[in-house]
Amino acid sequence: MIYGDHNTGIIVQGATGNQGAFHINLMNQYARETGGRGVVAGVTPGKGGRDVHGVPVYDSVREAMAEHDATTSVLFVPGFAAGDSIMEAADAGLELVVAITEGIPVHDTMRALAFARMEGCTVIGPNCPGILSPGELKLGIMPPHLATPGEVGIISRSGTLTYEVINELTRAGIGQSTVVGIGGDPVIGQTFTEVLERFESDPQTKAVVLIGEVGGNLEEEGANSTDLPLVTYIAGISAPPEKRMGHAGAIIEGGEGDAVSKIARLRRLGIPVAEKPSDIPALVRELV
Amino acid sequence: MKLLEFEAKEIFNRYGIPIPEGVVINSPDELSGQLNKFSDEVVVKSQVDVGGRGKAGGIIITTKADAVEAARHLFSLPIKGLIPKAILVEEKLPIEHEYYVSITIDRTTRQPMILFAETGGVDIEETARTRPEALRRAGFSPLLPDVPGYLMRRILGTAPKTLGPVINNLYKAFSASDALLAEINPLVTTPKGVFAADAKLIIDDNALIRQGITANRDLTPREREAEENGFSYVELDGSIGVIGNGAGLTMSTLDLIAHYDGKAANFLDVGGGAGRERVMKAVRLVAGMPDVKVIVVNLLGGITRCDEVAKGIIDAGIDQHVITRLAGTNEDEGKALLAENGYQMLETMEAVVKQAVKEAAA
Repeated sequence: MIYGDHNTGIIVQGATGNQGAFHINLMNQYARETGGRGVVAGVTPGKGGRDVHGVPVYDSVREAMAEHDATTSVLFVPGFAAGDSIMEAADAGLELVVAITEGIPVHDTMRALAFARMEGCTVIGPNCPGILSPGELKLGIMPPHLATPGEVGIISRSGTLTYEVINELTRAGIGQSTVVGIGGDPVIGQTFTEVLERFESDPQTKAVVLIGEVGGNLEEEGANSTDLPLVTYIAGISAPPEKRMGHAGAIIEGGEGDAVSKIARLRRLGIPVAEKPSDIPALVRELV
Repeated sequence: MKLLEFEAKEIFNRYGIPIPEGVVINSPDELSGQLNKFSDEVVVKSQVDVGGRGKAGGIIITTKADAVEAARHLFSLPIKGLIPKAILVEEKLPIEHEYYVSITIDRTTRQPMILFAETGGVDIEETARTRPEALRRAGFSPLLPDVPGYLMRRILGTAPKTLGPVINNLYKAFSASDALLAEINPLVTTPKGVFAADAKLIIDDNALIRQGITANRDLTPREREAEENGFSYVELDGSIGVIGNGAGLTMSTLDLIAHYDGKAANFLDVGGGAGRERVMKAVRLVAGMPDVKVIVVNLLGGITRCDEVAKGIIDAGIDQHVITRLAGTNEDEGKALLAENGYQMLETMEAVVKQAVKEAAA
């Protein structure tokens, strides 16, 4: 419960698109199962007055907030408009934006993040699956049935690979406190370091699994910043340099960020690195 | 997408960065009629998108009289396997000093970052390695329209102030072109002023449409087909085809193949909503690679319908064996369908990968 709990009121931006409508329904299904408030309003400019699965839609975030008590937005707005929508949410006073959208031009992301920071708004993503606190809150698109409540936090740059790790942990009888998908783009809001800070002040979380990828050095930075017990896994050890493996962030630039040297740096920090996802549960058991 | 030198220079020039007088030719004969533009010596430059072009013989300094011959030579000279489609011929600048400048995006601070060195040229990478302090770095807010003056003074140090406006214009070009990298190396001073003697510009693939670029030409035909279908696709050189959903899971599948000493033929991320039609297209695309002996399909997600995926695999009607790990809804129906048609569905990605490595080696 590091970014919200069952009392969190959610606005979905991009509510009337396929993705938005589909996931409003799934988020509210989960909210009903867990006694949460779920999605209280949707926003799509020009579509105010409609409703999506019983959720009222407004033209702007400000209008939605005038009628509903919400602190958090989950964003499904298409790439070219998403940067603007992040800024709209920040300007309206939302505390947290979870940007699911894939394919936002990186200059838009950069400007939107700088603007959101000035407004005191926290951004997760873009290009991420969102946040899941099992039994408590689902912000985004993670399949909750794989997860079970517990004491291990997960921070990941991936989507489905995160589900794989949740699945492995649950099968091994290890529950999760909060799972945070921080996104696969080169420029993202919350990085490993910032999510780890939240986990440090979360009494439920006893250890954290970091799931990283080739590209950049955010994993090492995060690992170096915390005293929490960590297990890491880095995808992309077989990735050839200069090739972009799906995620815009997962490209090895100028010899920096390749998986082998990233893993070596993590091991030098004394942090266990799993060779494959199925090794993660055993390494977690050694810590808690 | 990487632009070629002459394309990058055109864009830089539009933002007020001086470039040498030059012409772009698509065959050596086109040059003879345009040589009167130049006074004396010229630089003939192969337009290929690889580093180390100069050291590989792709840049020739010559007289006007020998320029056509030099161009003819470069049109038939492969640089790291690439034959140029165009050649840039420029006046030779009377260079006084070479500087290095680039602007990129710093992931840690989430800001544009300027890199500047007082000694530019071909050895910049060596300089960065041996004397990292010689490369000055400065980041600033992406909300600012210009590089702030105090920062420009810090970057330039004792270098001429006349470089400042050029660097600021480079930032404007970087910002307006949705660039991931804008680089001038060398940025040169001459008695006639400051010039971009070379230029490099990489455009964000997520912004190509907005930049008016319709086809990403960095792609092979199969990669282009994949792009049209919305797949992320990279070709490798092994014999195990790989289809996954999500970049991380697909990459991890590739790593697991390498872990068990197999070799993957490709990376294909089908993206969200892996339905029957998309799966069929993905399977056919991967099966079409000549070396693929066996295909791994690893799909995981709450909303993946396993029976639909199974139908897509069967619809593809390919010769190679397909081994799947599917997790989602209707798993049992999917498994039964696959088994009836001679395909396999296993419980974990490890089991699938081990089986595929075994079959590829047989």
